[in-house]
Amino acid sequence: MKEILENIRLFFVGALDMQGKAHGHIENEASDTMDQFMLLCFGDLLGIDLPTTYYALELLPYLGEDLVKWNMRMSDKKSIWEEKAGKLDIDP
Amino acid sequence: MGKIIFFGGKGGVGKTSCSTAFALSKARSGLKTLLVSTDPAHSISDLFHCQIEHKITQLEANLFGVEVNPERESNAYITKIRKNLHSIMSPIIMEELNKQLDAASVSPGTHESALFDKMIEIIIDTSKDFDYIVFDTAPTGHTLRLLSLPEMLGAWMDSLIAKRKKTLTFKSMLSKDKGIKDPIIEILSKRRNNLTLARKIMIDGENLQFIFVLNAEKMPIEETKKAVKMLRSYGIKVTSLVVNKILPNENSDDFWKDKKVKETRYLKIIEEEIPVDNLYQIPLFKFDMDEYTINEMAEYF
Repeated sequence: MKEILENIRLFFVGALDMQGKAHGHIENEASDTMDQFMLLCFGDLLGIDLPTTYYALELLPYLGEDLVKWNMRMSDKKSIWEEKAGKLDIDP
Repeated sequence: MGKIIFFGGKGGVGKTSCSTAFALSKARSGLKTLLVSTDPAHSISDLFHCQIEHKITQLEANLFGVEVNPERESNAYITKIRKNLHSIMSPIIMEELNKQLDAASVSPGTHESALFDKMIEIIIDTSKDFDYIVFDTAPTGHTLRLLSLPEMLGAWMDSLIAKRKKTLTFKSMLSKDKGIKDPIIEILSKRRNNLTLARKIMIDGENLQFIFVLNAEKMPIEETKKAVKMLRSYGIKVTSLVVNKILPNENSDDFWKDKKVKETRYLKIIEEEIPVDNLYQIPLFKFDMDEYTINEMAEYF
């Protein structure tokens, strides 16, 4: 009986975002997806030969600032595993 | 809808001369032909005593010409982007971006892409007006893959657009404003539609043909065999081969007699190992390419 009540409580914590983590999760996904998009467009800065590099130059007026920040971040990456492990949301 | 001909082959085999002679012969048989030259030496302008430029110029009754300079195209593109950026970005960011644009302007992939872009533009704009569009070169490397693999052409653009849309979905979940028209998606979509249209004209309409120029020697034959096999595996038609610079039949010197024997043997190998609809054999001419020799060459097509 206690288990069922506990599960119902957990359900509501998740569904109504009572721990306030939903915003953070979505932001992480958004920035990850943005990073992937930048990689597809400007991967040649990281040494990846892409067929769309020429076409991506057209997007610079819209992505210029993001590009510089992205490049710095990509160059500073030390460990992918550590990064991903840090984002794992393991409830106590 | 016009037939689109790409002339492939290694440097020096005579692509420019052969494509010009081919275009000439089609034009003189009454078919409206556009010759697109990428030759930086402007040899076609010399042949026709005409200043052919980036605008389509009439050379003869049914023959028109246009010159494409990949460096000029890529510089124009990059300069335009630089100007746009200059008015928007801060000087610090501009410094980084200028570095990237400078690197792009000398990268070989850039010239390839700029040339491909121009080819697509010409094909989309003019294929309805001409019976034949003859290019004195052929797409290679990246651009050939983009052209030939139906899945690739558009797939890259599609993945870019999909990723961008996903980013926007997340952003709209986080903020109040929804439904902003994203200029990036518009630019990418326009580009994707262009490529799709070009592919439709060339591949779906079965208007695309490759013609390979080679000499009757071992290495060129091997390379051509490989290239033809690859193109055919993509479903692209390779209709004709041009064996250029064939030695004359009468030779007095033993050296040349030997060469002629070898050449005849290689010709046989070409006939047997690379089957095509048309095998043109063009002789080695006594004089350099000029308006008279080009007329002679056109007779062979």
